[in-house]
Amino acid sequence: MRISPARRAAIERMSVTLLVVVSAAMIIAGKADQVAFQYLRNSVMDTAAPALDMLSRPAAAFDAAADRLRGFITVYRDNVRLAEENERLLGWQQVAMRLSAENAELRDLAKLVPDPAISFVTARAIGDSGGAYARNVIVNAGRDNGVARGQAAMTGVGLVGRVAEVGSRAARILLITDLNSRVPVVVDGTRQRAILAGDNSARPSLRYVDSGGTIRIGDRIATSGQGGVFPPGLPVGVVASVDSEGARVEPYAALSRVDYLRLVDYGLAESLPNPLAISARAGKRAESAVGGPPTLRR
Amino acid sequence: MINVLPIATTVLAALLSIEPLHPDSYALLTPAFTLMATYHWTIYRPDFLPAPSLFLIGTLQDLLSGGLPGETAVTLLLARAIVLPRRNYLVAQPFPFIWAGFTLLTGGAMLFSWALHSLLAEELLDLRGPVLRTVLTISAFPIASFLLGRSQRALIGAD
Repeated sequence: MRISPARRAAIERMSVTLLVVVSAAMIIAGKADQVAFQYLRNSVMDTAAPALDMLSRPAAAFDAAADRLRGFITVYRDNVRLAEENERLLGWQQVAMRLSAENAELRDLAKLVPDPAISFVTARAIGDSGGAYARNVIVNAGRDNGVARGQAAMTGVGLVGRVAEVGSRAARILLITDLNSRVPVVVDGTRQRAILAGDNSARPSLRYVDSGGTIRIGDRIATSGQGGVFPPGLPVGVVASVDSEGARVEPYAALSRVDYLRLVDYGLAESLPNPLAISARAGKRAESAVGGPPTLRR
Repeated sequence: MINVLPIATTVLAALLSIEPLHPDSYALLTPAFTLMATYHWTIYRPDFLPAPSLFLIGTLQDLLSGGLPGETAVTLLLARAIVLPRRNYLVAQPFPFIWAGFTLLTGGAMLFSWALHSLLAEELLDLRGPVLRTVLTISAFPIASFLLGRSQRALIGAD
């Protein structure tokens, strides 16, 4: 049956209008109650994981080839540098072994309850939020591999974020630079606490800094362990700038280039609210409530 | 038979936009591939990329990227609503005109999403990232348009 052009245009207009209304309703619903979308998001993530994994392979291979080529060129210089570094690290190894022995002795003397054993899963990033308004990464490991919500995501050098959503074979990591990310931190070597707040820029800012102390460029920032999501002492970054608006932290981990992540289970969390479920407004309310121990909304 | 090329390439564009390719801070700067495919197919073969497919692909991308569900769908549908009435004019134009049209569309889409996110966050968000992303999207359009046009000629034939 042929449809007249006028009729077709009317159908087009109606269907587009209807779908725009449905999408707008989704935006509002998604903002008000993200838990409703969580199941959908997890199943889409699980379903797409193999395709994403496959698509990310050529890119990963290209990266690896480029790294290799660079390696060939700098191999001599690297070797000299590494030999020197090895020499230095062997010295540190001695120190570490001595301290570790001493630590064990002192713990024994003090009858300290040992920290729960930690376990970790290494996963590859297969997806990345493409937009300018969110910072998260999808990795190719999920519940089946022992990943659970609330686990800390680390690279070798520092904290990257935390597991926000878990599917059966993929998981989403909320980066510390995301607008919704709030991490209780402490300035290393002092007892000065603050909240590291992401704002989608490369350098998250320090908020609610304890009064009475000053923060200087170069200060090292680590997790404080308050709120119970992360254990204390995970390295996060260094203070890179301080101005009238506050301090900003350069993360140790190169968040713009996350390849492999370690998802570490410290035996904490799991009973947390879903971070993505907290709307920007709720986030603000939670922040203003931070007075004593920070209410952790990550 | 409905030709699946437009839908397939647009789905691929949605998947590509969340691929972790690694020139530094790529995630921030991923071009809006899906918008390119939508613009191209809406001009040349809108019958093979109907509104419901745009809705589904946009929603898929939002769910995968962890963004606002519905945002990309709205953007793609509005792009279609804007471009479709003008396609008879655009389809006869040389490439620079098509590109100029895309520039306007992408600029509009950027302002729309920036306004939406600013509204929802209740503060004016930084515009630098979105502007950079828009510039990248506009610069990458000729390549995407060339590839889509090639595949179109090979598999569908001109309208």
